This record gives sequence, C-alpha cells and structure tokens, in this order.
Amino acid sequence: MPRSKLGFLVAILVLACVFLGIRYYEVDLPLYRMITGRNVLDPALLHLEGEFVESNLGSAQESDGSVTVRMIAQQYVFVPRCIMVPAGVPVRIRLTSADAVHKLNITAVGSTLKAVPGAVTEARRIFTTVGDFAMPCQEFCGPGHYTRRSELKVVPKDQFPTLAPDQRKDCVERSTTF
Amino acid sequence: MNEARHSKHWWLTVVGLVPVILAATLLESGGTQPPARIPSEVAWTDETLALANSGDPMRGLILSRRCERCHGAEGFSSTPAIPNLAAIDKLTMWKQLQDFRSGKRKSALMEPIAAVLTLRQSADLAAYYALVPNTPDPLDSRSFPERISNPSMARIAVPLITLGDGQRGIPPCQACHGPVGYVKGAPSLATQNGLYILNQLNALSGWSRANDINIRMRSIAGQLTLEEKQALSDYYGSGYAYQPPAE
Repeated sequence: MPRSKLGFLVAILVLACVFLGIRYYEVDLPLYRMITGRNVLDPALLHLEGEFVESNLGSAQESDGSVTVRMIAQQYVFVPRCIMVPAGVPVRIRLTSADAVHKLNITAVGSTLKAVPGAVTEARRIFTTVGDFAMPCQEFCGPGHYTRRSELKVVPKDQFPTLAPDQRKDCVERSTTF
Repeated sequence: MNEARHSKHWWLTVVGLVPVILAATLLESGGTQPPARIPSEVAWTDETLALANSGDPMRGLILSRRCERCHGAEGFSSTPAIPNLAAIDKLTMWKQLQDFRSGKRKSALMEPIAAVLTLRQSADLAAYYALVPNTPDPLDSRSFPERISNPSMARIAVPLITLGDGQRGIPPCQACHGPVGYVKGAPSLATQNGLYILNQLNALSGWSRANDINIRMRSIAGQLTLEEKQALSDYYGSGYAYQPPAE
C-alpha cells in the first residue's frame, strides 16, 4: 500500500476516534456491563420489576452518604418530573428510557445524559450551586419533544434529610400523598 | 524479541481483567429499595400486544350487550360521566379492562363487570368497539356533541392541545392522544365525554387513579390548573377536536 494511502487511512481512523470520543462521552455503557448483561433491561417491564419501579424513582440516600437519583425518560415526560438533590454531595444519576432515545440536559452542571431504551446510563455529578434548574430534553423524540422539561432542585446539604420524610425524594407537588 | 514476548503473555492481560470485571460488577449494588408499587400488571410486551390485538369483533358484538346499558348501543353514552367507547383504541380498552380486573384501577361499577371477563373476551370487546364508528349522526341516539359550557375556555384549551406548555413541562395532548401522534394505551379523545375526561384528570392529578405506566399521565395532569382541566374537558367534550375521516 502506498504511503499516502496509509496516511489517509490513519487520519480517518483518528478523526473517527475523536468524533466518537466527543459524541459519546456522556453514554456510560462500560463493556463489562454489556458482557455480563447487567445493564440490559426490558423497556416494557420497567414498571413491574427492577430498580425503576415507580416507588423507587427519585433521590435516595445511600449508606455512604452519597445520593442516587433514578429517572425514566419517556414520551413526553421525565419521571419524576422534579428531582431534589443536596449540594456538595456526590450524586449518582441512573437514567433509562421506556421508548425512544432521549437526552437529559442537566443545565446545573452544563452536561447532558443520554437515555437509551434497554440500557442504564450512569453519571456521577456534584452540584455546587443551590437553586432551581431546568432539565429539558435535548434529543428529538417526537411531536411532544419541545415541551419536555423537568426540574432540578438543589438544596443545602443539611436541609436535604428533613425536606422530605420518606426515603425516596422528589419535589413533585401532589394534592394527596400516596 | 519484543513481539515474541508480547504474544507469549497476552493471556496475562485477560486473566488480570477478570477480577477487575468481577469487582466492578459486585460494587454495582442497587441500594435499599422500599416495597415496589406496581401501577398496572399490563406491560406492552410482544405477547401482550398479540393477545390484545387478537380479538374477534363478532364475538365482541355479542358480548357488548352487557355494556350497552351504560355505554350506549352505539358506543355513545347518554350519561356524560360514563366514557364513550365508539372507535376506542384496542390497546386502551384491553388495558383498562385488565386494570379493572386486577383492581389497579378502582371503580365500584366496573371492577365486578370486568372480573368475569376472560383475557380472550376482553380482546373480543376491544376488537368490536374499535370498529364502531364515532362519526356523529343526528339520526342516532348519540349524546355527542355536547355544547361547550363556556366557549371562551377554548382560548385556554387550544394552545394546550396543540402546543402544550414548555415552561411547565406539559406536552401537547395531541402528541399522544392524536391526531398528531399516538402512544400505546393512550386513547383518542376526539369523541370522548367531557365530564368523564374532567373526572379522570382530577383523579390522575390526585393519584386516586394510579394505573398509568411510569407515572406518565399523573405527572402531566398534576401540572394542570383546575381551569385548564375544565377547559380541556369542555373542548374535547363538545367535539371540536373531532376530524371526520378523509373521503
């Protein structure tokens, strides 16, 4: 093979790697999970079994002090539609999709998280600023895409355990508690 | 020399990776979970979709004699609090009957009626009512369309139905309930009774009806104000959203 052709090929490969690195950095799908099958779940059965049943959604305090947030993205709403997290604490976000590919734009830290049906996308973030932030959808998912917007409420660390009495915390307003 | 050494000990890399993978898998603990709250036993798997679509409309026609008294002989109820079943989506009908059977949707009237139906009979009824026309006809005894109680409310309803509200995260009704788009289990509302829609919106926002999969409709209804619920149910109940089929 002539040297110029080889150089061209290498350049294409490097460009492809750079593109994939930029485009898919937010999709956290480690190889071991794909191999072990741990990350594969049936999008139709989310409400029946596993960690994404509706009583397990929202923020949960783990024993080591960190917080895990579980969310489902679906047409055309994120559930829970309002998330409450403490500031300055490592937050593990676990996100999956029930139908199409969606993308959660976490404006509080300026990053996005892709929701893929059948897989769990995981990210670790630390929120430093206290306040209310919007979390819109950033991937076209259908005719209702443009109105999809969930909220993130970052509260001070010491207030977090007292703000909601039950273990799973979200800030969705309800007229009656379940 | 170097190459030979690499090829000889390549398996060391593989062996070294195994404990790393195992450790990473074990560290992924799910955490403590409260008892699961199941909104509905129905899941849209391939088997369920095949079963719900396999009904025989002729058998459904005979079974529908049980429904006529409340839901009308032509699928149009004379009581506005009772839903119209004409041209209702098959999957919607099937899922609601299953939820009444399993008690996931509460109704003192419908639970005993649905309890005696088999899976097959539910599918038959769904197939029959999907074929009943919802075209309004003055010669028939149909309560549709009702008159809108306050026509100025359409100014509130139309933007919500067509555009939704991006500030509050309310998707447009027509993205799931038609005619722009449909999702599984979402009925067309074009010929639905207004009072029934209003009751369901109130029940969903107060979580007294909680059989929607993944809190979808409960999240949306919880964002609506009382005035918006009234406007939406008036608009749909008066048949303005109905589009006649193309000739």
